[in-house]
Amino acid sequence: MAKRVIVGMSGGVDSSVAAYLLQEQGYEVQCVFMKNWEDEDDEFYCSSEEDYSDAVQVCDLLDLPLHSVNFSKEYRENVFKYFLTEYKSGRTPNPDVLCNKEIKFKFFLEYALKLGAEAIATGHYARIFTSAGGIQLLKGIDKNKDQSYFLHLLGQNELSKSIFPLGKMTKTEVRKIAREQNFLNSDKKDSTGICFIGERDFKAFLQQYLPTQPGDIITTEGKFVGQHDGLMYYTLGQRKGIGVGGGHGTTEEPWYVVKKDLDNNNLIIGQGHNHPGLYSKILKAGQLHWITFAPSKIPFECTAKIRYRQKDQNCIIIAIENGIANIIFTENQFAPTPGQSVVFYDGEQCLGGGIIETI
Amino acid sequence: MLYFDHSATTPIDPKVLALMQEVANTHFGNPSSIHKYGQKARAIIEKSRRQIADALSVKSRNIIFTGGGSEANNMVLQNLLYSDKKHVITSSIEHPAILKVLKHLKNFGISYTTVPVDKFGMVDPINIESAIRDDTALISIMYANNEVGTIQPIAEIVKIAKNNNVLFHSDAVQTPGKIQILINELDIDLMSFSAHKFYGPKGVGFLYIRDGIKLYPMIIGGGQEKKLRAGTENTPGIAGLGLAMELAVKNQPNAQNHLQILENHFKNKLAEIYPDAIYNGHPNLHLPGLVSVTIPSVTSDMLLVNLDMKGMAVSSGSACSSGTVKPSDVLKAMHISNQHNISSLRISFGKGNTIEQVDKLIEAFDEILKKYNRKK
Repeated sequence: MAKRVIVGMSGGVDSSVAAYLLQEQGYEVQCVFMKNWEDEDDEFYCSSEEDYSDAVQVCDLLDLPLHSVNFSKEYRENVFKYFLTEYKSGRTPNPDVLCNKEIKFKFFLEYALKLGAEAIATGHYARIFTSAGGIQLLKGIDKNKDQSYFLHLLGQNELSKSIFPLGKMTKTEVRKIAREQNFLNSDKKDSTGICFIGERDFKAFLQQYLPTQPGDIITTEGKFVGQHDGLMYYTLGQRKGIGVGGGHGTTEEPWYVVKKDLDNNNLIIGQGHNHPGLYSKILKAGQLHWITFAPSKIPFECTAKIRYRQKDQNCIIIAIENGIANIIFTENQFAPTPGQSVVFYDGEQCLGGGIIETI
Repeated sequence: MLYFDHSATTPIDPKVLALMQEVANTHFGNPSSIHKYGQKARAIIEKSRRQIADALSVKSRNIIFTGGGSEANNMVLQNLLYSDKKHVITSSIEHPAILKVLKHLKNFGISYTTVPVDKFGMVDPINIESAIRDDTALISIMYANNEVGTIQPIAEIVKIAKNNNVLFHSDAVQTPGKIQILINELDIDLMSFSAHKFYGPKGVGFLYIRDGIKLYPMIIGGGQEKKLRAGTENTPGIAGLGLAMELAVKNQPNAQNHLQILENHFKNKLAEIYPDAIYNGHPNLHLPGLVSVTIPSVTSDMLLVNLDMKGMAVSSGSACSSGTVKPSDVLKAMHISNQHNISSLRISFGKGNTIEQVDKLIEAFDEILKKYNRKK
């Protein structure tokens, strides 16, 4: 009997093509649509309705069974709570990284195994390589789309039960297959932003959950230049939406968020993209996770990304003490942001990562 | 694939489909046109209205075609906007096409009282009586519930409505072909129906309006349906609805018997393989062939997906339109524990189901229950 694989079907082009490729390869494919978010006020619409409808149409075309599962409770408990706590403490979390670890490769994986699947598959652009020393997570071949960054919290068990059919493909090839197969979503645009907020206004969304605490905007020189709506709405390195014009400074250059002074509820801004306050060569990362093995020796030379799609940056992990890694970069890094993930690489291989604590 | 979800919708009767095809092919005229084409289409619509009226022992003029049961319900409730009295009494187990409409109408000055149900999903008429206020305009209680099948004490509720000079509406979409519908005998004021629940087409239904009740249209335009529902008539759908209603009422005693046999067979067989099953809804006063069953050891989403993988279609709870299963509000209103709520399935048999098919369903249950109970 063919191996049963359960594909996490989002209604997007990637998971649709992933399901198609597995079907072509002779797997017994079952698709599952996951609903991870329910609006408290869903009186007149379900936000995921359109995605579900796309999933139904693709599965109908491929004649693949489609099931639905609701993990919104699990998502709230395991991802959203953390998301709010992080924002409350002035940090900028990455819920998509956590969603993979806590939902897709945990509850969804368990669910699939319960349904008799040998593996789950998703439309992520990343590769799995089984070496003598363990299972490795490799970058996707498409360097523009590589999603290993979001998968760096997976471990041996998860990777041993996962398939990424798109790892060796480019997005262009995926869209081409989708068009050839007449998938209605072949030109559907990639999802951006945080999945549960979608196209909504981020500030308005956050306001529903966290009280706003307006405070002062102060330049690095200590000059008061205006009011902010609450520190949680700002991210380090942010330029747009601060509401301070170039005229307040010595030049016409734009202003950037340099620091969030939580103790005094002040937003510290600096002028110009080259402002020294925006850059750092060192950072500390906690909650470390290693996919295949922990560094064999310290100092440990590797590369890292401090945000998705950043080019690999040369760095050295000079110490790991009490679960906190001290990292020194060769080049200055623009706005390392507490709460975001720093992900380590050795060439193609994603080694793991941690959460940026302080800079 | 075996289909056991007839309370969600039914397959179309071949005779109904044949009629609709003929009407769509041949009699495409606009029923409002004065030429022969239009007259023929108009005649088909009026024939359907007569068929329905005869089947329900009411007058043709009491039938207004709508785009289905939800529209009929909406039309009744939205008429409260024109009424001097602005209060409605309903129950906690109504369809969203009642409860969500009322919630929405709150924004426009309508208030409502939701009376509770007992553990069988039954409304107590005393609660309705005590909820009546000076400004109560309408009581709306479903004839029989769509999730657990409990048949409501409509006769007593109508009496209360009459005594208090309040209109009575009932959402009766689940009843045709399963139990007798007594509109005249009960002196019903308003009643909603939907064709696809009794082997007719989707997207068409009707509202029964007793003589002497004045309603305002919700959809305004060309003045069709005595100015109560504008829009060029869905002639093939209406023709199909008329025949489907005629057949449903004509075959109702046989169908009721058949559905009861399937239901009893299912329950007897399930007891052999799984004695812990709990049935929801009133033990006697419920729609034949509609089984709401709690399987405490397995959650309904697992049961549902496993049955689906074996080619068996049943349903659970109230499904959101994106296909995921939430705990059922109806079972919640019946004070069924959350644990049992999320382990409940609805199996609704239809006229096409056979004893052999029920046996296959039981076999599927047996395999699934063994699998999950063993794993535990």
